[in-house]
Amino acid sequence: MDNVYQSNHRKIATVLSIIPGVGQIYNKQYLKGFIFLVFAASFLIAFWDFIDLGMWGIVTLGEQLPRDNSIFLLVYGIISIFLIAIAAIFMFINLRDAYKNGQKRDMGLQLNTIRGQYQNLIDSGFPYLMLSPGFFLLLFVVILPIIFVLLLAFTNYDLYHNWPAQLTDWVGLENFKKLFTMEVWRDTFFSVFAWTIIWTLVATSLQIALGVFLAILVNQKELKGKAIIRTLLILPWAVPAFVTILIFSGMFNESFGAINTTILAAFGIDPIPWMTDAMWTRIALIMIQTWLGFPFIFVMVTGVLQAIPNELYEAATVDGASALQKFRQITFPLVMFSIAPILITQYTFNFNNFNVIFLFNSGGPSIPGQNAGGTDILISWIYNLTMTTQQYGMASVITMIMSAVVITIAIWQFRRTKSFQEEDMM
Amino acid sequence: MKKWLGALFALVLVIGVLAACGPDDEPEENANNSDEGTTESTDKPEKLIVWEDQDKGAALEDAAAKFEEEHGIKIEYQEYNITEMQENMALDGNTENAPDVVTMSHDGVGPSVVKGYIAPIEVSDEVLSQYTSSSVEAFEYEGKLYGLPKATETPVFIYNKELLPEVPETMEELYELTKEATNGDEYGFLAIWDDFYHAHGIFHGFGSYVFGGDNDDPSDIGLNNDQAVEALEYIHKWYDEGLFPSGIIGETSNDQMNGLFKQGKAIAVQNGPWAFKDYQDAGIDIGIAPMPKLENGQPVGTFMGVKGWFVTNFKENQEWAQKFVEFVANEENSKTRFDLTGEIPPLVSLLEDEEWVSQNEGAAAVMEQSRDAVAMPSIPEMAEVWDPLKTAVQTVATGKAEPKEALDEAVELIKQNIEMNHGGAN
Amino acid sequence: MSTKQSKIFRLTATYFIIAIMAVVIIYPLVWVFGASLTPGTSISSFSIIPDNPTWNHYKELFNPEESLYLTWYWNTIKVSVLSMLASVITISLMAYSFSRYKFVGRKNGLVTFLILQMIPNFAALIAIFVLANVTGLINTHLGLILIYIGGAIPMNTWLMKGYLDTIPKELDESARMDGAGHFRIFWQIIMPLAKPMIAVVAVFSFITPFTDFILAKVLLRQPEQYTLAVGLYELVSRQYGSEFTLFAAGSIMIAVPIAILFLSLQKYFVSGLTAGGIKG
Repeated sequence: MDNVYQSNHRKIATVLSIIPGVGQIYNKQYLKGFIFLVFAASFLIAFWDFIDLGMWGIVTLGEQLPRDNSIFLLVYGIISIFLIAIAAIFMFINLRDAYKNGQKRDMGLQLNTIRGQYQNLIDSGFPYLMLSPGFFLLLFVVILPIIFVLLLAFTNYDLYHNWPAQLTDWVGLENFKKLFTMEVWRDTFFSVFAWTIIWTLVATSLQIALGVFLAILVNQKELKGKAIIRTLLILPWAVPAFVTILIFSGMFNESFGAINTTILAAFGIDPIPWMTDAMWTRIALIMIQTWLGFPFIFVMVTGVLQAIPNELYEAATVDGASALQKFRQITFPLVMFSIAPILITQYTFNFNNFNVIFLFNSGGPSIPGQNAGGTDILISWIYNLTMTTQQYGMASVITMIMSAVVITIAIWQFRRTKSFQEEDMM
Repeated sequence: MKKWLGALFALVLVIGVLAACGPDDEPEENANNSDEGTTESTDKPEKLIVWEDQDKGAALEDAAAKFEEEHGIKIEYQEYNITEMQENMALDGNTENAPDVVTMSHDGVGPSVVKGYIAPIEVSDEVLSQYTSSSVEAFEYEGKLYGLPKATETPVFIYNKELLPEVPETMEELYELTKEATNGDEYGFLAIWDDFYHAHGIFHGFGSYVFGGDNDDPSDIGLNNDQAVEALEYIHKWYDEGLFPSGIIGETSNDQMNGLFKQGKAIAVQNGPWAFKDYQDAGIDIGIAPMPKLENGQPVGTFMGVKGWFVTNFKENQEWAQKFVEFVANEENSKTRFDLTGEIPPLVSLLEDEEWVSQNEGAAAVMEQSRDAVAMPSIPEMAEVWDPLKTAVQTVATGKAEPKEALDEAVELIKQNIEMNHGGAN
Repeated sequence: MSTKQSKIFRLTATYFIIAIMAVVIIYPLVWVFGASLTPGTSISSFSIIPDNPTWNHYKELFNPEESLYLTWYWNTIKVSVLSMLASVITISLMAYSFSRYKFVGRKNGLVTFLILQMIPNFAALIAIFVLANVTGLINTHLGLILIYIGGAIPMNTWLMKGYLDTIPKELDESARMDGAGHFRIFWQIIMPLAKPMIAVVAVFSFITPFTDFILAKVLLRQPEQYTLAVGLYELVSRQYGSEFTLFAAGSIMIAVPIAILFLSLQKYFVSGLTAGGIKG
């Protein structure tokens, strides 16, 4: 048998630790054992009822009215799963600790003193200690909503299946089927999706182009007043977008806004239906997003340009390169290479850019033949589905589909960044 | 690997056991939807939570104080925008902040009943006889009464006495007057007919209707019949000849109309009683009258909205909540309310009080107009009507579509949306 | 000579383009200031210099009898400052761990959260509401602060980790040789060097509460608890009776301090973001 071991403490301690702390006490680590025991007991006392209710709730989504609110129960269920997972991790640490220390005893080694245990905890546990508050928040702020949406896609949660009048039920793939078989859902989905793509590509590319162009322009050596110019060009970023979009919404008003009455009138152009014609609203939105988005790119590119060593240009000058050649051979490739990683985040940002669409014209104007507005992108459509028509189930299905798109692109992108590759090597 | 499988198995087992039991085993958890727990409904609650309309709380304070004095129940009130009541109930309904009594417009009755937010009430005929029968009927849904009236409102004819000395008898006359008055940035009669709430008067006057039956049969939509097309052609006439400026379309049309009227740049508007004070504050000497008759001799059948008090399903104090509703809606308190906030109570006694009628031109006009007005449909399907109709009027007004095709498309869309959002009913 | 001429031409063109940009950038801001001075509630009569300008809208906002603006401002400042402090601490600690330690989940943990956060969560607002309700954090600023911190973590930790990676590891090691503990290295060596990035994180998390009108609207149940964005959005979004001029005045008083804060820290943005976002 195990001739290394002189006794069987490791097994006994592990078995005893099924009640957390008892194994540690058996290992004569009284303080640790006591802490484990108290922790486990208080966890059970505090959460047992909740977990019980939550697990029952997430499976059944409630059984009788008005006692059971299905959606609340669903959330309770997810929280309960989190709590169980936390308990499982604790249990694992507890069992392993009992086993490890039992093993040491079996091998006749000295166990750590209380001070030693503390040192050990601080040393190996330092990163975990630093991460845990943040991780805990992420669990509830990021993960919980995602699981909730994921589950909601398989329920019939809508106006008619809602507390207190009705229970919500699990309906399997019903919502997915509806999205692709019911004509108005399908048509709306594809037309909104198409505009979302166009919006993302055009608005983002324009803001990048303008940002890069201005950065290179301002970076010219001979230019005076760079500091003031840079401050000016960052201004659209500095003013909260929430405010500026609403301001633009007023400026683009068709008969009283400054665009039609002052600016276009000055050039003798007839008023343009910015708010009532989907095409013009789209154009206005793209212009506004360009205005809002270029300063970020401008700042980034300026940073890159300042980091390009002067010797490169000097060498090029010696070789007789023209300004244009220098730009094409040195500046442009270096800039694009450096900012490539953040470009994709700009595209995903606009793909999800709810604020500008919603605040400018609420996704409107409405256009015939679909149940979303003419400028609604997927995310603002989802907002309307939940807040206005309470089609939570369908909204979740659409959320899942668009998430799949965004995540695919994002993963593809992150795999290419340097820091990800660096981590890969570890 | 084996260890992990074991742990996983244990986890599944625990979850399974937990999911199998539930609140049935632990009755004390049943109380999650009521903060009263075991209290019998006949017991006096300490307080009632009332949700009042925005900026109308002043009118509630007096009644609340008296009610507290009489019954020893504290009234806590919270002001919310009346259009957000349902949204807020959806969230707060299952929490401690849930209201006992809410105020809503009657078109919220259908959706709120379907969602189970509000409870039917039973009051004596004596109580009901205080109110005009049309206002009480607005609160009936599927044969049950759900609330008591607080105020009625319907758009009326508001004119600037300086610019329009005499109220025209017919819309024809008004049209001619408007033609004369329209000049540069000065306008005649203005209305935001691109909003179906305001346009309904015209549609109804020409003989169109929203839903069949008692405005409650969603399978029969009368918004693209010949009369509706005529109505829309009539509306188009006003836009086409530049009598309505093009800014009076879309999101901010209401603001723009008010702005022009308040600067004395429009001789008259069609608007509801909520606007009276705003106009007076702007220094306009306004006169208020029912809408002029249409060419065909029919009155403009504006939409009537009746705001009321409702008892919710969220708490167990329904008996007391109903007592409060009866109290706050009684004649005395309604009159006080009118004096404080200008909300016009549909009281029979006021209509018959000639002195009151002569002193309160605006209220009298609203009541007069209410005779020809149509209560907004209160079935949930009504939610699908607004947007498509708005689109139809807007596309016609901007000359992008013919009335017939625009209305056909709108009705088609309404039907689709009803199927989409309400098809799951029952 | 032709190079000199072309240089003059190039610079003139540059100044011209910048002048156009200046107009495009400044015009809306001047316009909204004009709107805030326009009497009445709508902008229908509006010209960039109002006929009879009035400070009434500002007075109204500052009068607690007439408006809750000051309450909202105070709420926002409170939420902003607290979530900024907490975010900076949490994010620094996390970024430091990711940059310097090996632990389970280091490799993909951060990227996973970054990607997960791109999933729109409107359908899940109600889940956040239930969570807040269950924890008693509904209608409290603390609940909102916690959510803002959680939301700020992935992107900012990512940026800061990128920045910390550029600080040579030898510094830590020599300090460790000298007997400094984990926390001392973090606090006395790494943090002072990461100042530009801390400024970036601080500004980002300070501004969020000023601009969020969705989450705050769901979590804060009463007007007295609202933050500025919720309150101001209500002013313009009301279907009947929106008050654009009052909103304009309210916005000016948000936009000006934030813009000043932002611009005064802009030099950090260039160094912080380029190091964190690009080289990282």
